[in-house]
Amino acid sequence: MAMNRRNFLKVSAGASGSLMVSMTLPGCAGIQTGYEPDTGEWRPDAWLELTTDDEVFFTLARVEMGQGTYTGLTTLIAEELEIQPERITPRFAPVAPEYRNPLYKLQLTGGSTSVATSWEPLRMAGAEARQMLVMAAARVWNVKAAECQASEGRVVHPNGIDSMAYGKLVELAAKEVVRGDIALKPRSEWKYIGKQRGKLDARAKSTGTAVYGIDVDLPDMVYGVVSRSPRRGGRVRDFNADQVRAMTGVLEVFEIERGVAVVADKYWRARKAQDALQIDWDFSDAVSLSTDDVFDSYRSAADDDPGESERSEGSFASAMEAGDRVVEAEYAQPYLAHATLEPMNATAWYRGDRMEVWAPTQAPDLGRIAAARATDLGPDDITINTTFLGGGFGRRLTQDYIEEAAALAYRIRRPVKVIWSREEDTRHDLYRPAMLHRMKASLSGGELTGWHHQIVGPQILDWYVRNAAPAQYPWAPKFMYDTLATVGLMAEGLATPKDISAIEGAIEYPYQVANIDIRHTRTDPGIPITWWRSVGYSHNGFAVETFMDELAHEAGEDPFQFRRRLISHEPRHLEVLERVARLADWQSPVPEGRARGLALFRSFGTYVAQVVEAGIENGAVRVYRVTCSVDCGQVVNPRIVEDQIEGGILFGLTAALYGEITLQDGEVQQSNFHDYPLMRQYERPEVVVDIVDSSEAPTGVGEPGVPPVIPALGNALFALNGKRQRSLPLKANA
Amino acid sequence: MAVSLTVNGDERSLDIEGDTPLLWVLRDELGLKGTKFGCGAGLCGACTVHLNGQPVRSCSTPVEMAAGGQVVTIEGLKDGDRLHALQEAWIEHGVPQCGYCQSGQIMSAAHLLANNPAPSREEIVAAMTGNLCRCGTYSRIIAAVESVAGTESSGSTSGREA
Repeated sequence: MAMNRRNFLKVSAGASGSLMVSMTLPGCAGIQTGYEPDTGEWRPDAWLELTTDDEVFFTLARVEMGQGTYTGLTTLIAEELEIQPERITPRFAPVAPEYRNPLYKLQLTGGSTSVATSWEPLRMAGAEARQMLVMAAARVWNVKAAECQASEGRVVHPNGIDSMAYGKLVELAAKEVVRGDIALKPRSEWKYIGKQRGKLDARAKSTGTAVYGIDVDLPDMVYGVVSRSPRRGGRVRDFNADQVRAMTGVLEVFEIERGVAVVADKYWRARKAQDALQIDWDFSDAVSLSTDDVFDSYRSAADDDPGESERSEGSFASAMEAGDRVVEAEYAQPYLAHATLEPMNATAWYRGDRMEVWAPTQAPDLGRIAAARATDLGPDDITINTTFLGGGFGRRLTQDYIEEAAALAYRIRRPVKVIWSREEDTRHDLYRPAMLHRMKASLSGGELTGWHHQIVGPQILDWYVRNAAPAQYPWAPKFMYDTLATVGLMAEGLATPKDISAIEGAIEYPYQVANIDIRHTRTDPGIPITWWRSVGYSHNGFAVETFMDELAHEAGEDPFQFRRRLISHEPRHLEVLERVARLADWQSPVPEGRARGLALFRSFGTYVAQVVEAGIENGAVRVYRVTCSVDCGQVVNPRIVEDQIEGGILFGLTAALYGEITLQDGEVQQSNFHDYPLMRQYERPEVVVDIVDSSEAPTGVGEPGVPPVIPALGNALFALNGKRQRSLPLKANA
Repeated sequence: MAVSLTVNGDERSLDIEGDTPLLWVLRDELGLKGTKFGCGAGLCGACTVHLNGQPVRSCSTPVEMAAGGQVVTIEGLKDGDRLHALQEAWIEHGVPQCGYCQSGQIMSAAHLLANNPAPSREEIVAAMTGNLCRCGTYSRIIAAVESVAGTESSGSTSGREA
């Protein structure tokens, strides 16, 4: 992202003479924060504040949910500011336009974009502050600024002996004006970027002191639980309010939009009262589908409608006619839950003219809209305090849990914390959509001549726009929210980027094939869906890379050689593919009872190739080893990249082996970790992560590890027993 | 009912329903928020604490069962200002990602080392298998435990623990 420093950096003096650097990202110029400048208080749009006490505060605009922004983004600031990352105190950003993600025009953390979008602006902010400190010191010493050095939080005199701490300089520095552009440090001079560094939040998270949403404690706080309709769209007809209200500790029992709420003085009392709650549901307008109905509806939609063309090259029809063989396959993939280990929760406090919310959220500006909906307040009256997130994976982009807490607080008029049970978290999730893929390819003398991919299923923005559209127009009155949601939907591509959630990873099909036809048949069965770690790539990766394996087999060619031949025009793909084959010793014999599978897949700008070695032991699939080569451009923190890729691999394997949410008459059948299992320590394969040394712009790492491991495992099982599995989760006895 | 128990060395008395899970007593009555709620069914291990020297799932342990007992939580693992060797190893190895499961992971590991100061890889894996991590930090957990196992500090937990 090329940008002019003058357009987005703002420097000013703050409380007690501190130096503050603020930023306005492209596309957000001209929007006011609503806060008075120079009030003497920390301003919400200050990204970086240096105090006279030698403290450095950095506002973290991308939430920390395990993906490492707390350390990674702080490292970017530290590098140019010339101070050790450990000396910077990150603080979670409040809602303000300056903190929006420039790619989405919303203040959200997702899409593996945090480092990619912060890479230039944060380094520039650090460089600007450093330059001002150097200029101030030079003025004091009456020397040339260019002859002074900044290092480890101090400016060093040209004599190499004297130095001044930043804290002593900030008052003077705030008066300096930097003219012209500041050159960012060349790669060869980096001290922190790309080096092995610890994690800045590891101590708090190893001592039980990191504060997650569920840990928020307020004076006089009470606890709320909500019973929601077991089928989406069910309505409350009646419930035994009087009986439940009489139970120990119960303060209130009342209906809200999403069900029936019980508020008690203690969490356990609220739960016990909820157990006694009997609700008569009206399911006449509810979604009462079963999983089989969903796939039946997908198949008939696919039969009836070839879908919108998303990419077309050459003529697939001619290729099919000219070819000597046509291969077809249909892949079915289930709904998947996020299963963040910290269940959904939020705490809200309504005080007449304003509301304060504490929540683990990936999108605090949408949280304000959600809270506004449940109260008589506008978004500007609502403050969202973001905490550490006990996992996100896309679930916390949707603010239903904040809406509930706000509704309860509005009624109760004292601080209330709403905590979901694990069962509620599983059953009232918004899922990775179930998807159907119909693949067709033509072969001519062993050559792949045509590729046809029909993706069948819903798209996510349809479910998200309800709060996202109003968040983009914070000045809009509340009565317009639903209109905006409709307009936002219709204006897709204008207000928001085109929704590629269903087709991403399919439309970028990278192999050299002359005739390509990729289509999306859009159909939505009405089951709530949202982004799930790696989103569309998660299901398109399985379809594309499994079918490639089928075609290699049909063509009688080794799956590695087959891909290699067809990807030779894409150097970064080719490199990770060749590296992983070398590292996993692809050509070597496999131990008895085991087999290897391969997949190559780019997502979020990052190139990933994986080899899985697997077998079947005691009637269960066993994954022994995953070898992964990854090219994510410039690495900011190698340890975090390894962690994210390995974590993504385990996340993908969990889906491949166990992941399945099923519905019976509209009701989710899974509830807790016994029937929605996560991979455990004893099942963990050995994971080898090989990172390509690159100076290309950094790309995402939170999600790209997930997609390829699912087909790579399926392909290994095919190599093992010759049985091709075209639906997930994979089975040992397919 | 009146319940007394010793938590991290301090004797605590409460008036509370005996079926209240120990987890909510620790978190909401005693303000020890380091112990986490994950599943409420003893399936994930995020709520692991030590009760009379044994690791228990506090979400599924009624407080009346802990009456008169010695409870140690993540907050009580350190010795004065000195962190437990496992906590230092967790920081050194950068184990946590989201971090939510890590209190429980560390409590399980601390119990293992207190009873078996030099466990084999298999013994570590077996001891840690009851603790789920959604982020996938499992390999760093093993590395961190192994870095402490077999060293002098491996057998020592908090002096408060029986």
